[in-house]
Amino acid sequence: MSISALNIRKTFGSYTALSGVDLHVQSGRLVALLGPSGSGKTTLLRIIAGLEYADAGSGRIQFHGEDVTDVPAGKRKVGFVFQHYALFRHMTVFENVAFGLRVRRRRDRPSKSDIADRVNRLLKLVQLESLGGRYPSQLSGGQRQRIALARALAVEPKVLLLDEPFGALDAKVRKELRRWLRKLHEEVHLTTIFVTHDQEEALEIADEVVIMNQAKVEQVGTPQQVYDRPSSPFVYQFLGNVNVFREQSLALAGNGVYARPGRLVEDGLVYVRPHDIAIARHETGADGIPAILRYVHAAGPQARLTLEQVQNRELVEAEISRVELEHLGLKLNDLVLLRLRQARSFEQDYAI
Amino acid sequence: MAGPATSLAGKPARTGAGTPRVIRNPLWVRVVFMTVALLFLGCFLLLPLAAVFAEALRKGVGAYFHSFADPDVHSAIWLTLLTAAIAVPANLVFGVAAAWCIAKYDFRGKSLLVTFIDLPFAVSPVISGLIYMLIFGLQGWLGPYLGSGDHPWFGEWFNQQDIKIVFAVPGIVLATIFVTFPFVARELIPLMQTQGNDEEYAALTLGASGWQTFWRVTLPNIKWGLFYGVILCNARAMGEFGAVSVISGKIRGETTTMPLQVEILYNENNSVAAFAVASLLALLALVTLVLKSFIEWRHAQTRPSA
Repeated sequence: MSISALNIRKTFGSYTALSGVDLHVQSGRLVALLGPSGSGKTTLLRIIAGLEYADAGSGRIQFHGEDVTDVPAGKRKVGFVFQHYALFRHMTVFENVAFGLRVRRRRDRPSKSDIADRVNRLLKLVQLESLGGRYPSQLSGGQRQRIALARALAVEPKVLLLDEPFGALDAKVRKELRRWLRKLHEEVHLTTIFVTHDQEEALEIADEVVIMNQAKVEQVGTPQQVYDRPSSPFVYQFLGNVNVFREQSLALAGNGVYARPGRLVEDGLVYVRPHDIAIARHETGADGIPAILRYVHAAGPQARLTLEQVQNRELVEAEISRVELEHLGLKLNDLVLLRLRQARSFEQDYAI
Repeated sequence: MAGPATSLAGKPARTGAGTPRVIRNPLWVRVVFMTVALLFLGCFLLLPLAAVFAEALRKGVGAYFHSFADPDVHSAIWLTLLTAAIAVPANLVFGVAAAWCIAKYDFRGKSLLVTFIDLPFAVSPVISGLIYMLIFGLQGWLGPYLGSGDHPWFGEWFNQQDIKIVFAVPGIVLATIFVTFPFVARELIPLMQTQGNDEEYAALTLGASGWQTFWRVTLPNIKWGLFYGVILCNARAMGEFGAVSVISGKIRGETTTMPLQVEILYNENNSVAAFAVASLLALLALVTLVLKSFIEWRHAQTRPSA
């Protein structure tokens, strides 16, 4: 089932959470809504779920072309998973998962044994079949979130909405669970939107990433598209580390060869990822931006170097392999030359 | 005596989370504080309580039980139970409704409502009684329209009903409701606020109606807090003196509740009977305390972590 949100506006008092946002999600996709806190991503998700309403007179929500703007949350057939699980604390895991079936009207309600069957099937799907009799407080965070997912799936939703589903978990569990979610998505193939502020998470498991900032959608694309071709400085900076060079420093270093020619604007800023910076030992006459090595952080597969530009004393971060680092044989405070393999600048937006 | 012996560091082995050494005080400080606390407790709480029972039983068990044979005492007990039976459920419904509004929704004037809920705690009970006199009394604002008579505002039927509020049971009930107003709401508001709305939202997305959400999710989550609020409310409803004393008119056998009956009997130098009735109220207090501890214990049991 595809999801469309058209021109959604939402204000809380004088605060604008969403200013005319459009979103289209194709059927069966796994889409990440990515953005910093306060960008409006959770509000958009809650409006899609029907837990929040867009401002009167603003846009519509459509599921598979059908308008559901005025349909209450309980009738939209959405599965919603909350950041803090929101499991019913006084019910066992089994009762939690069965809840959505038990509250149905008598003629729609499955029989007792059907409910038990379905709940057990779901507990198996989330790999927690032995924990049906436990209470939520007896489970770990990762287990709770999987139960929350099973509970949401029990009502056979048409779309699955997850609000920062792994936000409250520690790093290792988070990584495991997001791979598991990806696998689950391939099994059940439900149109899924999940909200996250973790770019790594979004890029790793989503088919499509929607990047939001300040109540607007900044860019939509596959993880590779948004990472390789960010459409704005914000997206560039939000997806991974980035160095910002003033154009003058580049001009001084050479004839603009270090950035894509023709894209530079006067007084513009040039964005370079740390792994797109090559480092060479300093030789007089050679091309490059002179810099001094200030700090080496070599834990992990890549070495992260902090360098200070000689020209303007601004700091630059570069990432090279540890083999390369050894090969260069650098010491702290050595003078080196920086070369930019790939750089990007953006036309300044003069519109007010 | 449970637990392992003293460890090498000289830290006393205590069960559970023993007080860390750094924040423990010298022995003499602890002894002094403990003695002061126990003396205070003994003089101001235990001694009076013991005195109530001692006085009540001064002339023997027979005289004690004989005190309850008095029809006025019967009617006082009956009236107290009746008042509590009306006031407690009324405040239960009000308290849940108010806590629900305040904890789950944002609206204009919310803080004003919270302040008003506390009003009965801030006002002296005597004033509460006087307020009702002022409103419903014969010389009051609404009083003249309530008794039988010929008033243009109301229809013929209403004028013939002869509704009595002041110096009658309805007044006592109203004053009691007013005084015990905050107990349930006060208990539930912080509880519901910490629990947040997520579980209700979850129930909603799973297709539950508002009514189902309330009975299956909200109410089970607050049941111990609610029970706690209700027993405190009940204790106060049965023990209320000031407000009821003003509005009841203390008509013997008709508008005296137990606390008023105690005063009447004592003023008549019938101290055994006075203390016998008082001992019932004291017993009620003890039962309340036991229930309260039980609820606190249960509450800690049902929420191991969360």
